[in-house]
Amino acid sequence: MTYVPVLRFCQTYAVLIMIVLLVIALTLLSDSFLTVPNLLNILNQNAPLAIMAAAMTLVIIAGGFDLSVGSIFAVGAVCSAWLALNVNPYFGLLMAPVVGLLLGLMNGIVITALNVHSFLATIATSLIFKGAAIVISDGRLIPVRMDAFTWIGRGKLGGVFLSIWVLLVFALILTFVLTRTSFGRKVLAVGGNADAAILSGIRANRVRIATFAIAGLAAGLASAIATSRISMGQASAGTGFELQAIAAVILGGTSIFGGVGAVWRSVAGVFLLALINNGFNILNADPFYRDLTTGLVILAAIGISSAGKKRDH
Amino acid sequence: MSRTIVVAMLMSIALSGNAFAKGKIAYFAAASQNGFNQATYEGVQEMAAARGYETEVFDGQFDAAVQFAQVEDVLASGNFAGYIIAPNDNVGIAGAVEQVIAAGQPIATVLFPIGPEMNSLEPQVPGITATVASPPVPGATLQAEAVVEFCVDKNPCNVIILIGAKIFPFDNLRLETYQTVLAQHDNIKVLAVGEGYYSPETGLNAMTDMLQANSDVHAVLSNADQQMAGAEIALEAAGYNVSDLYIMGGGAADIAIEALREGRWDATLAYFPKTMGALAMEQIANAIEGKPVRNAINMDFEGPVQALITKEVLNANPDFEAEWQQ
Repeated sequence: MTYVPVLRFCQTYAVLIMIVLLVIALTLLSDSFLTVPNLLNILNQNAPLAIMAAAMTLVIIAGGFDLSVGSIFAVGAVCSAWLALNVNPYFGLLMAPVVGLLLGLMNGIVITALNVHSFLATIATSLIFKGAAIVISDGRLIPVRMDAFTWIGRGKLGGVFLSIWVLLVFALILTFVLTRTSFGRKVLAVGGNADAAILSGIRANRVRIATFAIAGLAAGLASAIATSRISMGQASAGTGFELQAIAAVILGGTSIFGGVGAVWRSVAGVFLLALINNGFNILNADPFYRDLTTGLVILAAIGISSAGKKRDH
Repeated sequence: MSRTIVVAMLMSIALSGNAFAKGKIAYFAAASQNGFNQATYEGVQEMAAARGYETEVFDGQFDAAVQFAQVEDVLASGNFAGYIIAPNDNVGIAGAVEQVIAAGQPIATVLFPIGPEMNSLEPQVPGITATVASPPVPGATLQAEAVVEFCVDKNPCNVIILIGAKIFPFDNLRLETYQTVLAQHDNIKVLAVGEGYYSPETGLNAMTDMLQANSDVHAVLSNADQQMAGAEIALEAAGYNVSDLYIMGGGAADIAIEALREGRWDATLAYFPKTMGALAMEQIANAIEGKPVRNAINMDFEGPVQALITKEVLNANPDFEAEWQQ
């Protein structure tokens, strides 16, 4: 009986437990790990993916999957770079989230209008979006070496990268929306039991469309930050981000079946995976073991989480 | 009656493309949405047009199995007189290449040889028409020796190596070469080896991480300009004046040539994809027409300028332009 609270704690906070264990291990292995510059570096590098994972949380809680966010990221990257070069750098940065929002909205409308599973629909739209990114960029890099463009990716406020502030504000807004607003309750209801939600008067399709629009907005925002940081737009940007974002959401503990989850969990999931990459680079370790280690860490997190669930049953 | 014949002839011309072309050449790109492959194809197209051939490009999508199937499909179609391939898997594709050779058709490889020996340009698949490539080890040796020359008066001379990816055999060869050459000099210390995956973003992240654990960097040695472009941003963010460091890229893409002309970088090992494509096409046309063929062409000696491009080389060749955009 005395083990029950411990197991429940493990189940609830598996991702945080793994982060703490990794931080301890990396601190013991390298003097360079637990330093303010390196921690800010990890947060800065992974802020775009964390922003996307935060928004993906809402999509998954509402019972959907968005496999097109990597391609939306690519469209945002080439659009912002192209507009920065040919119109105005600030306008380029501003338009990336706007384009992302529009593409996300398109995803939601396609899914609900055609009444197809989001998994299939977003595979199709991801190809369309990726194709658009290639056409816009002609398959080439678009370098934008302008201070007016790179400030959001490289600038700091109070000694902290702007990208981290953006992530913090974005994650807090989404947390507030999910936990303190009627829209958030509708997202949870639609994901938990769509039929019951509809019977209780919730317009489930509108809720789903909104979650995909938010995911698109997040992908566009993330692309603006990442493109600004490397001062370069490219159609291959964001490749694989959709799976990394989904992995982080699930690893964080949000239910793959919808109805349950939290934004902070997904952000934590991103940083759990980020610690492994950072550790390998800092320790100058053989990258052949990176995937093996990542898999073992994910397995450990799942193991800790499921230990609590088994006890519950 | 004669009007019917003219219409039939015009329709035949329209359906078959250029009636005056000597034949159609298939170019199997490693991936068509890629600056390097696009430049190679431009070279193929220009030479093909000059020699009176048509061309068609096939997108290998950086997938060895896709490319293998494409070669078989195109061969089965019987519509092509010659083949040029930028292999995704230089060993695995040999089976498809043998089928083309068995059908009596000419085939050339660009960028990499077909066969297990990456440094040999001599035919490893009997009957292959031409190998137009840059062997990895001599190029990597040139790069590493340039770093050694920069380090000659520094002790220690701290070097960071940024390699494409260790999963690629050609990058492993390059990395081994870098390490072997640099290890022969006691004053040179390799601080770290990172993977850039030919991406500015990955190069930036890898270099940022490595700079957390390493300081006082004097030189960065990279096999690819794309990842070097990202690493440069990380160095600037860490407070380095990049112009003071020795920066070696690879590829001679437009961003590298611009960086060299501006004095930010010091050298890049050149690839000349457009020239490479043109030379491969020339050999295929020669083979079809029964003219002499060069079986092995080393691109380190065939470019418009020398393979290791520095600012001095560019000053001596002010009209030189990068052959590809990334």
